[in-house]
Amino acid sequence: MDSVLEIDRIKTVLGGQHLHDGVSFRVRRGEIVALIGGSGTGKTVLLRQCIGLMQPQGGRIRLLGEDVWALPPAGLDALRRRFGVLFQEGALFSSLTVAENVGAPLREHTGLPEALRNWVIDLKIRLAGLPPEAAGKRPAELSGGMKKRAALARALALEPEMLFLDEPTSGLDPISARAFDTLLRTLCDSLGLTALLTTHDLDTLWGLVDRVVVLHGGKVIADGPVAEVARVKHDWIRAYFSARMKE
Amino acid sequence: MNAARPFDIEKTTTGWRLCLVGDWRLANLAALDQALAGHALPEHGGITLDGAALTGLDSAGLMLLHHRLTAAGIAWPSVELAGFDAERLALVRLVTDRLAAPAPAAEVRPGLAAALGRRVSRAAAELPGLLVLLGQISEGLYDLLRRPSGFRMREFFVQLSAVGLGALPIVAMMTFLIGVVFAYLLGIQIEKYGANIFIVDGVSLAIARELSPMLVAILVAGRSGAAFTAQIGAMKVTEEIDAIATLGLSPVKVLVLPRLLAIVVAMPLLAFFGDLMGVLGAATVAAAQLDITLHTFFIRMRDVLPFSTVTFGLSKTPAFAVAIAFIACRNGFAVSRDARSVGERTTATVVASLMAVILINAFYAIVHPEL
Repeated sequence: MDSVLEIDRIKTVLGGQHLHDGVSFRVRRGEIVALIGGSGTGKTVLLRQCIGLMQPQGGRIRLLGEDVWALPPAGLDALRRRFGVLFQEGALFSSLTVAENVGAPLREHTGLPEALRNWVIDLKIRLAGLPPEAAGKRPAELSGGMKKRAALARALALEPEMLFLDEPTSGLDPISARAFDTLLRTLCDSLGLTALLTTHDLDTLWGLVDRVVVLHGGKVIADGPVAEVARVKHDWIRAYFSARMKE
Repeated sequence: MNAARPFDIEKTTTGWRLCLVGDWRLANLAALDQALAGHALPEHGGITLDGAALTGLDSAGLMLLHHRLTAAGIAWPSVELAGFDAERLALVRLVTDRLAAPAPAAEVRPGLAAALGRRVSRAAAELPGLLVLLGQISEGLYDLLRRPSGFRMREFFVQLSAVGLGALPIVAMMTFLIGVVFAYLLGIQIEKYGANIFIVDGVSLAIARELSPMLVAILVAGRSGAAFTAQIGAMKVTEEIDAIATLGLSPVKVLVLPRLLAIVVAMPLLAFFGDLMGVLGAATVAAAQLDITLHTFFIRMRDVLPFSTVTFGLSKTPAFAVAIAFIACRNGFAVSRDARSVGERTTATVVASLMAVILINAFYAIVHPEL
C-alpha cells in the first residue's frame, strides 16, 4: 500500500518550547488515522503543518507525493485542491448560506456552469448527510452537528483525495457524534478517501479509525490499531484508556 | 477531455449497453455534460452501464450520469452495472442512494408585498427589545439613585476617558477647521458690503448654536456609538453577556449605565471645547482676512453672543448622547452569534444614531426658534 502522507522527523519550536521533537509516521491510502495526545501536545499544530498553514522548524512532510514545505506557492495552492479540511468549529463563512459555502471552492477552482455547479452542491450536501433543505440556511441557523456536516460538504466539494479533520466530533452529543463517525466511515470507504483526524473521543477511536498515533512529549509513543495501542505499557496511554478498559 | 467520446452506446440483444470511457471526474464535468447533452439516449429497453473502460470516476461524474439518465427518462434502479470493481460499486451505491431522496421544493421568491411585509414585521419585532432595554435602563437608574454605591465607577471612568479625552484631538481639528472655512467663506461675502465686523455675529452664533453640537454628535456617534455596539456585540458572540448575567450581575448595570452616563457627561464638555476651537478658527481667519484683531473680535463677541445661546447649544448634547448610547447598546445586545451580525449592527448603529441626532436637532430648532 502506498503512503498518502509521510511525516518525517518533524521538529517544531513554539514560543521557545520544543513541541515536536522528531515526529514520524505514515498514513496509507484508504486509511483513517487518529492522532491523539494530551492537550498542548501539538496535534492541531501538526495538522496545520500538514495542510501548509504552519511551517515546522525541521523535518519533512510528504502529502500526496509532494513535499509540502518545499513547494512554491502556486504548487501549494494546487496541492490544497487535492485535500479537504474540516476545522474544529466548522469555519463556515457566516455571511454565506450552506449552498454558497459548498459552492465557494467550486466557483473559485472549476469553470463549471451554474446549473452543473448547483448539481454538485446538492450532491455534496446530500453526501454529507444534510437534508437538501439545509442548502438555503445560514451557518447561524444550524445546530452543531449540522454545521460539521455542512463544513464536511465544503471539504468534499473538490473531490479531495485526503481529508484532515480537527476534532470532528467535539461539541456533538454522543448520538450525533456516532452518526458523524458512521458518515465518515461510509464516505471514506465509498469515495476512496484517506483521513487524518485529531480527537479526544474514545468512541471514535474504538469505532471508526483504522490506526491510532499517540503523541506525547514531542514524540510518537505508539502507532497501531487501537486495540494494540490500548495495551501499550505507558502511563499516559494507560490513563487515557483506563476509563474505558475498566468497563 | 480530449476529442475522444466519453462514452459509447451499442445495442445488445436485451437492450442497450452504455460504455463509459476515460476520466469521469469533476475536472471534466463541463465537457462530459456537453457530450451527454449532444447525444440522444435510447429511451426503451434495459440499459447496462459498463465501467470497464473508465480511467477515473468520482461522485460528481456519477451524479452527472444519474441526473442525465433520469432526465432522459431512465430510472436509475433499472440500470444494470457491469465492469465496476468493488471500490467503484461502493461509490455508485453511495451516490445513487443519496440522490434518490426527493429534491427539495424550489424556494418561492417572495413577491413585493410579501417582502415589504417581512421587512415591516422584522422592524416591528425590534420594538419589544427596545422597550425592554428602556425599562432595564430606567430600573438601573432608579436602583442607582437609591444605592449609588452600586455604580461601576471604574468602568465609567474608562468609558469617559475613551469617549471624552480620546475624542479631544479630532474634535479640536474638526471644529477649528469648520470655523476657519465658515469664516473664510462668510468673510468673502460680507466684505462686499463692508460689513466686516458682522463676521463675529454670524460665526459665533452659528458655531455655538448649531455647528459645534452637531459636529460633536456626529463624531461621537461614529466613534463611540460604533465602538459600544462592537464591544457589546463581541461580548455577546463570546457569551460574556450570558456569563455576566449568570454571575448574578445585570449586564445593563455593568455595561450600559457606565457607557450611557459617560457619554452624557462627555458630550457637553466636548461641545463646549468645540465652541472654543471653532471660534478660535474663525477669529484666526478674521484677523488674517478681514483685519479684525483678536481683541476686537472677542469684544464684539461678548456683545452679540448671548450666554443663553451657548447654553442652548450645549443643552441639546445630552439628548444626542442619550439617543446615541441607547441605540448603540440596543444594537450591541441585538447581535446574534456570528461574525457578520457584528458588522451589520455596527453599521445600523451609526446610521440610526445620525438620524436620531438630526431629528432631535430639528425638534430643538422648532421648539426654540429665537437666537
